[in-house]
Amino acid sequence: MSPITAELGKRVNAGAETNAFKCYQCKRCSIGCPVASYGDLHPAQVMRAVQLGDIDAAAASKFIWLCTGCETCTTRCPQGIDIAAVMDELRKIAREEDKVNKDTGFANVLKLNLDSMKRWGRMSEIELVALDKLTRPSSLMADVGLGIKMFGKGKLPIIPGRGDRKQMRRIAAEAERIEAERRRMRRVPIVDKEGGE
Amino acid sequence: MTKLAYYPGCSLHGTSKEMGETAEATAKVFGYELTEIPDWNCCGNTAAHSINRLLADALPANEIAKIKADMQLDTVVVPCAACFSRFMTAKHEMDENPQTRADVELVVGRAVDTDVRVLNLVDMYYDQIGVAAIKDKVRKPLAGLKVAAYYGCLLTRPPKVTLAEDPEYPVHMDEVLAALGAEPVQWSYKTDCCGASLALCEQDMCRDLIRKIVGNARECGADIISAACPLCQVNLDTRQVDIKAADPSWQQVPIVFLSQLVATALGLPASEMGWKRHMVPVPALG
Repeated sequence: MSPITAELGKRVNAGAETNAFKCYQCKRCSIGCPVASYGDLHPAQVMRAVQLGDIDAAAASKFIWLCTGCETCTTRCPQGIDIAAVMDELRKIAREEDKVNKDTGFANVLKLNLDSMKRWGRMSEIELVALDKLTRPSSLMADVGLGIKMFGKGKLPIIPGRGDRKQMRRIAAEAERIEAERRRMRRVPIVDKEGGE
Repeated sequence: MTKLAYYPGCSLHGTSKEMGETAEATAKVFGYELTEIPDWNCCGNTAAHSINRLLADALPANEIAKIKADMQLDTVVVPCAACFSRFMTAKHEMDENPQTRADVELVVGRAVDTDVRVLNLVDMYYDQIGVAAIKDKVRKPLAGLKVAAYYGCLLTRPPKVTLAEDPEYPVHMDEVLAALGAEPVQWSYKTDCCGASLALCEQDMCRDLIRKIVGNARECGADIISAACPLCQVNLDTRQVDIKAADPSWQQVPIVFLSQLVATALGLPASEMGWKRHMVPVPALG
């Protein structure tokens, strides 16, 4: 067990613009969560791990990558905690601290999705599926039959729709510059199990 | 014709064209012309908010800025529930937090007037057009059709952002369906998540969620499920093909868009509904 510290909670609170320390473990989030039973932890356990500063339990969990973002937890939390935003923030911390759970494909899908919209101004579904198959071996044969059927129904246009690509590039670059600076200022060293930095 | 700004989003130009086409066609019957925001970009979807919160606010804010300043309009129709959620979140976060507004406006490169009404598909029918006006224009009532109104997650949650009146058991779509002459059923999974965002990587989980949602609708007497989100519709429609392949006893339930049902009841030609694009066959309606 790592020492209990407030560092992770402070970092999560700043990034998610909420207060995870208010959680008193009523577990309404876990009861309402449609995917609580599919992961290693359920939402209330993730909240506890954040409070205890246990980054290996919280940020490295598979659950944060199963969260569908359905906002049931945030809607029902009697303490008004934006729990879905906590999951999002833990995803960012997992990437920053190189703790992305190895059993998830969602981190890859999300990254490719963002790349696609930055490239075209709009997201191309067929490009996302193709690149996911190329970059994530376990996805290679998944849903091939279904994809072909969808293509046959005209549901997957080959040519990506284009938005204002120049504006998209400018907005993405500027948002990334400012966000990176804000996150760097907020980032506090996370103490690991050995007690060092 | 009254002009309303219109943000179709990536899905309505891709997997769910029929949602956009029927939304536009039905709006026209009531004198509204949906005018696309010029050169619109992606709203950022789940990817942006899980990677960069500022970008997630800036992308919809950039579209919102165009509505008043460039189009001189004050209302935008955003039929996709996921896009709607991003628009409402950006508005909410800019209005609540001055630092967020300053950062977003720096990124967008101009002031963003957030005093814009954002309507999802249900809102367009319920708030803009109105149940009475719809009732008046019904030519082919959907008599005897039992429909489960499926809202999914983001039309109503979280209510402080979406301003939904009853996030746990919303009824506006049900009231629109009743105006069409259909019979909305009472059921449990109205606002449960179908897992669409994880459709590419957690197939088993998605199939489970869909079995629960569709199974409950069927058990509660629904002949058909009415969706108001393109991601829900595609997920529930396409995955049932999978479910049936693995379990031949599975009884498929057609998943249609609310806008297709409105179009049908208004008597618009069946050839314009896009029924051929569905994976689970839709029986003749109306």
